[in-house]
Amino acid sequence: MAARPPLSSLRRWRSLPKLLTNALLALLSAMCLLVLLPASGLSSSGLPSAGQSGIPAAAAEPVTIRVLMPAPLADAVAAPVAQFNASGAGIALEVIRGPLDTETISDLATGSLLLGEAPFDLLLVDVSWLARYVAAGWFEPLERWFGPEVLAAMEPGARLGNGLDGHLWRMPLTGDTGLLYWRTDLMERPPRDTEELVAISRDLQRRGRVRWGYLWQGRQYEGLSCVMVEVLHGFGARWWNGSTARTELDSPEAVAAARWLAALLQDGVSPPAVASYAENDALQSFAAGDAAFLRNWPYAWREIEKGGGLVKGKVGVTAMVGAPGEQGGGTLGTWGLSLIKGSPHPEEAVAAIRWLTGPVVQRQLAIEQGYAPTWSTLYDDPDLQRRAPLLTVQRQALQHPQLRPPTPAYAQLSDLLARQVNGMLTGQGGPGPTMAAAQRQSLQVLRSLAGPAGDTAGESAGGRPAVDR
Amino acid sequence: MKARAASLLLMAPALLLLAAVFVYPLLRYGWLSFQASSVLTGLEPVPNGGANWGRLLDDARFWTDAFQTLRFAVCSVALELAGGLGLALLLHRPLRGRGTLRALTLLPWALPTTVMALGWRWILNDPHGPLNAAIRSLGGSSYGFLSTPATTWFFVVLADVWKTLPFVALLLLAGLQTIPEDLEEALRLEGAGRLQILRRLTLPLLVPYLTLALLFRLAQALGVFDLIQVLSGGGPAGSTESLALYAYLNAMRFLDFGYAATVMLATFLLLLVLLGGGWLLWRRERAA
Repeated sequence: MAARPPLSSLRRWRSLPKLLTNALLALLSAMCLLVLLPASGLSSSGLPSAGQSGIPAAAAEPVTIRVLMPAPLADAVAAPVAQFNASGAGIALEVIRGPLDTETISDLATGSLLLGEAPFDLLLVDVSWLARYVAAGWFEPLERWFGPEVLAAMEPGARLGNGLDGHLWRMPLTGDTGLLYWRTDLMERPPRDTEELVAISRDLQRRGRVRWGYLWQGRQYEGLSCVMVEVLHGFGARWWNGSTARTELDSPEAVAAARWLAALLQDGVSPPAVASYAENDALQSFAAGDAAFLRNWPYAWREIEKGGGLVKGKVGVTAMVGAPGEQGGGTLGTWGLSLIKGSPHPEEAVAAIRWLTGPVVQRQLAIEQGYAPTWSTLYDDPDLQRRAPLLTVQRQALQHPQLRPPTPAYAQLSDLLARQVNGMLTGQGGPGPTMAAAQRQSLQVLRSLAGPAGDTAGESAGGRPAVDR
Repeated sequence: MKARAASLLLMAPALLLLAAVFVYPLLRYGWLSFQASSVLTGLEPVPNGGANWGRLLDDARFWTDAFQTLRFAVCSVALELAGGLGLALLLHRPLRGRGTLRALTLLPWALPTTVMALGWRWILNDPHGPLNAAIRSLGGSSYGFLSTPATTWFFVVLADVWKTLPFVALLLLAGLQTIPEDLEEALRLEGAGRLQILRRLTLPLLVPYLTLALLFRLAQALGVFDLIQVLSGGGPAGSTESLALYAYLNAMRFLDFGYAATVMLATFLLLLVLLGGGWLLWRRERAA
């Protein structure tokens, strides 16, 4: 037994020393494990050890290329990856299953990349991260391997959001955009503009055919920013001006766009609960037959058809609509592969990119998960058209997709716009003051991020719009 | 004079250590808060003339988080002090199996916060967690405890109280055992009731221990990070986000180190004003 504890309070606490000893033992063994694990992991991981460790590796030893992806996409490409590894290319492609949530996986990747040596060679990159990661200097340009003719074989929208400052940073794997879902049992044809959308909704609601008109994502999160990109564009406004590297959220058009969203709730076309809806909440409600329209990503269609809910087989999909006389366009939500700077095996990693973004994998993703392909030839494939019924609409949507502001400051700008607009939706301010505050705060953020050189710094460090060829 | 020099010399290592881990980071934050150091500057510091501080004043998220952090700290620490006092009084009484009981109460405190936060997250999972399973078996339907701001906040506080109550109880128990039993005996002979003893004798003598617990817990609760990061991630919709979490997000997610330093420093100043003000008030009360 250890020396008597100094505090008289512990006099009769006989089990305490034992407890402490046990805890100490547990801690020590945990530490031993931590020390031992990485060592044993390294020795058996099949790292290409030839030049590095001095032990000559067998000639057939494949080079390991690691790629970090969100778990659902990692699972979706498991079979093609196995096929690739068995093809005898001398590469062992290893897919690391990352978290499901886009922000969480970005945090995970950022944590590794900040430390300098990322444990992966390739990263599956969401279109909204690209500018930030490029500005941080974490990617290797890809134009050495993928010339302009490669992207030229893709749909126009799929070419967006991969280039910046004259370099190609990402090879797109999916071509998803925001889409408008409508009920084929309630109307003859989908609305052509926002006015028709509201008119059809109110007519159906008045006749008691459906409880709500339009469901979308109004929660205070990045999904609301995606909605805002579409609505702003649909009203002829723009969030981001690439040539000045400034936001334009207080323009009359932008205020009109915000007013339209606010009116959807005030007039009862959308339920008040929309202000707390993320993608899945809106989808569940729509799938239960609560509404005539839904804004969501392509995956929702498969969920509705798989789920066997009330509206199964009664759902049509169309490209996002704009105000009368304006060209609508869905927010671009594509994923693509980027090469991490400092990867010891860039050639092999690029071979892996080539395979993973190639038509075989994209075809399978389209059939099994409903992801939009990027290659034009796939859209012309009659067999694929039959097995992925959304293909025609997805192609149409890829003609006029909208990019989220391609600036490294997007995460902050999105955070404050979503906060302001959600405040408006929950009755904390009108459209005018809301958008004015969002604009004022956006400029503050940009100033604080870029220093006194303000706008010019923003421009030179990637504030310019994507270079897409 | 000689003794003074010797004492300074002896204290030097400790002072140096303090300077290294406390003063230097503070000065560094102060300097960084006047720089733009973000992806727009290639992560290099560029002076931006107080733009970070101007942004802070208009940053709704900072002030919301400040309010939320304060609300969390006040509520959880108040509950912990009250509950800890009750638990300490209970454990102080002669009971059968008191030793085992005391060891058991320490268990939550012995768990790493991340582990217990993960445990709570699982308990509250919708629809697979045990809490929702219990609700369903009673004929109710699953509830998204962690997708509603009010319930999420409630369970964040509850988890914090659950974990740190034993710590407060232990501190107060130590205090209780310093109170000589004959004093209590004397009061009882004078005909004082239990509540009277508590109010006139126990509580006044416990004040130093209560203050200690309050200071420890307030400092910890105002800097809460791990519990919230794991249990709710600051959500839903930022409704449980704390200042520490916001500073972390600015640095790690937004790669905006200048502003992250500003948020950190502003948090520190807020706490300083708050705790310093409280301390002054308390001293004046005592002097009066």
